[in-house]
Amino acid sequence: MQKPLIAVIFGSRSTEHDISVLTAIGSVIKPLQLSKKFRVLPVYIAKDGQWYAGEKFADIRLYQQGNLQEVLAKTPPLSLQFKQGLYLLEQGRFSKTEHHIDVVFPATHGTHGEDGELMAICEMAGVPYVGCDVEASVIAMDKVLAKQVARDHGLSTVKDVAFSKLDYEADPAGWQKRINTQLRYPLFIKPAHLGSSIGISRITNKKELANAIEVALHYDTKALAEEGVENLIEVTLPIMGNTEITPALLEEPMLKSEDFFDFETKYMQGSAGKGKGGAKSDQTGAQGYSRIPAELPKGLYEVAESLGVSIYRALGCSGLARVDMLVDSQARQVYFNEVNPLPGSLYAHNWAKAGISNVKLVTTLVELAISRHAEKQTTQTSFSTNYLQQF
Amino acid sequence: MIRGLFSLYSVRYVVALVYMLQNTEYQAGPYLRWYWRTTNFSKVTYRRQLDRTRPARLLLLTLRLGMLLQIAAGLLLLALWYWRDLAGGWQFGLALLLSYPIVWAHVVTIPLALGRWLVIAPRHRRQIKRSEKIFAQHPGIRLAIVGSYGKTSMKELLLTVLSEGKKVVATPANKNVAISHARFAKTLQGDEDIVLIEYGESAPGDIARFARKTHPTHAVITGVAPAHLDQYKTVERAARDIFTIADFVSADKVYVNAESLLAQPYLKKHPQLQPYSRQSVLGWRIGSVQVDFDGIQFTMTKGKQRLALYSALMGEHQAGPLALAAALAAEFGLTPEQISAGIAKTAPFEHRMQPYQLSGAWVIDDTYNGNIEGIRAGTALLKALPAKRKIYVTPGLVDQGRQNQEVHQEMGRLIAASQPNQVVLMHNSTTPSIIDGLKAGGYSQEIIVEDDPLGFYTNLHAFIAAGDVVMMQNDWTDNYA
Repeated sequence: MQKPLIAVIFGSRSTEHDISVLTAIGSVIKPLQLSKKFRVLPVYIAKDGQWYAGEKFADIRLYQQGNLQEVLAKTPPLSLQFKQGLYLLEQGRFSKTEHHIDVVFPATHGTHGEDGELMAICEMAGVPYVGCDVEASVIAMDKVLAKQVARDHGLSTVKDVAFSKLDYEADPAGWQKRINTQLRYPLFIKPAHLGSSIGISRITNKKELANAIEVALHYDTKALAEEGVENLIEVTLPIMGNTEITPALLEEPMLKSEDFFDFETKYMQGSAGKGKGGAKSDQTGAQGYSRIPAELPKGLYEVAESLGVSIYRALGCSGLARVDMLVDSQARQVYFNEVNPLPGSLYAHNWAKAGISNVKLVTTLVELAISRHAEKQTTQTSFSTNYLQQF
Repeated sequence: MIRGLFSLYSVRYVVALVYMLQNTEYQAGPYLRWYWRTTNFSKVTYRRQLDRTRPARLLLLTLRLGMLLQIAAGLLLLALWYWRDLAGGWQFGLALLLSYPIVWAHVVTIPLALGRWLVIAPRHRRQIKRSEKIFAQHPGIRLAIVGSYGKTSMKELLLTVLSEGKKVVATPANKNVAISHARFAKTLQGDEDIVLIEYGESAPGDIARFARKTHPTHAVITGVAPAHLDQYKTVERAARDIFTIADFVSADKVYVNAESLLAQPYLKKHPQLQPYSRQSVLGWRIGSVQVDFDGIQFTMTKGKQRLALYSALMGEHQAGPLALAAALAAEFGLTPEQISAGIAKTAPFEHRMQPYQLSGAWVIDDTYNGNIEGIRAGTALLKALPAKRKIYVTPGLVDQGRQNQEVHQEMGRLIAASQPNQVVLMHNSTTPSIIDGLKAGGYSQEIIVEDDPLGFYTNLHAFIAAGDVVMMQNDWTDNYA
C-alpha cells in the first residue's frame, strides 16, 4: 500500500516568506521524510502567489543561490482541483502530473497562509491539514480580536488601544490623544496581523508615537498600542493537541528588559548558520537567544503554563500553536500577549527539550490533523429539503 | 540490476575502484572480496570520498589509460572487421569493449601485489630487524598491551596515569603491527621510564612474532573475544595466541582481565598470572563504584592505603582497567596524589563510550567498539543509566568468521537484557541473527531496521529528545555489507 502523500506548503505572499522556507525545509519536510511513514511533496508558493511543487523546492540552496526566478520560470505552476479531496495538477509541456494530497502540512507564516486562508482552501477541499483550523487561525492572527476573546474568557491581557488604518488616517491627532490619555509609556505599537515581530516598535515618549504608528500601518490595516509591562519577563509556550492538550516548556528570551523579540533578534542573530530547530546547545533555544525552561519566580511557571493552556482552549486552537505571555515578576502577574498559530520552526527545539523529537512532533501533528478531520466528518453539513422544488 | 550493470560503465566507476583500494589499504584480497560483493558501483563511495593522495591519483591515471587503451583496441578490431573483414573481429572487439571495467578492476591488483611482495615486504623486514635491537637494549619497562579488545583504551589510560610521575611513551593511535612497532622504535630516546607497546594480532603466531621483536618486560591482557576469526577460525585459537605472551614475560608481570570470560580458564590454569577486575587488583580492594553521565568514581584500599578516584570514563566496566592503571602506578613508584591526578585526567576517547548531548538527549558514542565484550559492557551501561526512553543502535559486528551467527544472536540477547525502548539495526547480513537473539531474549518493544545508516546518523538529532539515552555501538565502513 502506498504511503500517504503530505503536501508541505510554504513560502507565500507574506513578509515572513523566508522564515516559512526555513520552517518547511528544516523542521517539517526533513523530519517527515525521516519518519519513513509518508511521501512528502514540497509545495512552494512564490512571492507572486504562484504555486509550484517538486523535490527541488526542499533544497535550501535554491533560495540562497539567487537563481530562484530562473528555476520558477522553467517549472510549470500548479493548479488546484477539488475532486473528493485535494489534487495538485502540474501541467508540463509534454505531460500532466496529478498529485492526490492526503494531508496538507501548512508551513506558511503571516499573511496568505497562517492567517486562515490556506486552512480555508483545505476545508473547502475536504482534506485534513495540520495546525489550527480556519476560525482559530483568523482569531489568533488578529492580535486585537485574540485579546478580546481572551478578555471575554476572563483571562488577563495588557491594556491597549486598537484602531484601523482608515480610522486612524481620518483623525490621527485624536487617536494619538486617546492613546496618550488611556495608556502609560513605554508603549508597544504593533500591526494587528503580522508575526515574527515585524513592524513592532517600542516607544518611550509621545514624540515617537506618530512614527511608530506609521510603521505599523505601513505593514497592516489594523494596529494597536499596548502598555509595556514593568519588570518584564517575556515567555512563550508551544502547545500541541486537539482535545488532549500537551504543553511543551516555557521559553524565556535572554534579553534586557528594554529590548523585545524583533525580527533581527529572532532570526538573524544568535547561532547564525545553524538554522532553526536543530538546537545543539542545552543552555539556549534554537537561535541561541532563549532559556528553556524559563526561570520564573516560584509559582509563576505554573500560572503562566495554565494561562497558556487556557488561551489555547479559549481561541479554539488545535494541532499546534504557541502562546506568548508577559510576566511582571514583581507584581507576580502574567498577561496574555498573542498566539502564533504556526510558530516558526514549529518550535522543534523546545519540543525536543520537552522530550518530543522533531520526527515524533511532525508525525504526531499529522495524526492530530487526521483525527480532527475524521471527527469533523461526523458532523452533518448538508441535508435534503424540497425547498428548491417549492420555490 | 540494470542500474548496477550501468554503473560499471559510469564515469565514477574508476573513482569507485580506487576508493575501494584505498579503503582496503591496497590489499588485493579484501579489495577483490568487496569488488565481487558489490552490485552497484555508483553506491560504493557512500560515507566518505576518495582521498586523492599521490598513489590514488597514480592509480586513477593508470586505470583510465588502461581502459582507454582497451576501448581503442576494441574499436580497432570492430573497424578491421567492418572494413577489412577481419575474422572474429566483431566478437573480440565487442568483448574488449564490454569487458574493460571488469578486466581493469582485476589487472590493477597485479602491480599492487608485486609491489607489496618485491618492494614493501623486504623493506619492512629490514626495518623490523633493526627495531629488535633498539627494544632489546632499552633500559626502561617495556609493557605490551595484548587482547581482542580494549587495547588502545588501556594504552591511553596507562599513558595518562603513569605520565603523572614517569616519562612514558606509547605506540601511536591504533598503530599496532610489527612495522608500526619498528617505526615507533626509531622515535625512542633511550631515557624513557616506560614504553607502552600495543599488539594488534590478527592471525595465529602474531603475538609471539611481536614479542620476539619488542622484548616486553610486562604485559596486560585486556581480554579475549571473538575477533579476526577469519584467520583464527575459533576463539580458542585466538585465546591461545594471546596467552603466548606469557612465554616471553614473567607470569607475575602479566596482568589479565579476570572479567573476560574466555580469559578465565587461563587464569585458573596459571595461578601465577595477575588478575585484575572491578573487585580487586594486585592486592588492592575496589569498592564504592558509582557511575553516571559524568563518569565513574570508586575507592581502592590496600592495608592502610586508601585512594578515592574519579574518572570521566563511562561505565562500571571501566573500574577494572582504571584500578589496574592505579595499581601499576603505585608499583612503579607514583605517589597517591599523582595517581589521583592521573586517573582524574582520563577521559573518554573519541567514539569509545564517549557521551555527548544532542537535542537534549544523552548519546553514548561507542562506534569504535567492535567486539562482543564491548557490547556486553555497553548494554550493561545502557541498562544502568536512568532515562525516559532508551535507544540502542548498531549495525552488528564484523570479522566474526564461522561464529558470526552465534555472536550476533548473543548480541541480540544482550541488547534485549538491557531493555531499550527501541532498537535500531543498520540493515546488513547480521540483522536477522541479531533479531533472532532479541526474540530469544524476550524483547517485545520496537525494532527498526534502517536501510540508510548514514542518513540515520546524520539526522540523529531529529529522532531524539530530552530524556532519551542513545547507545551507539560499532559502525561499519563502506567495505562491509
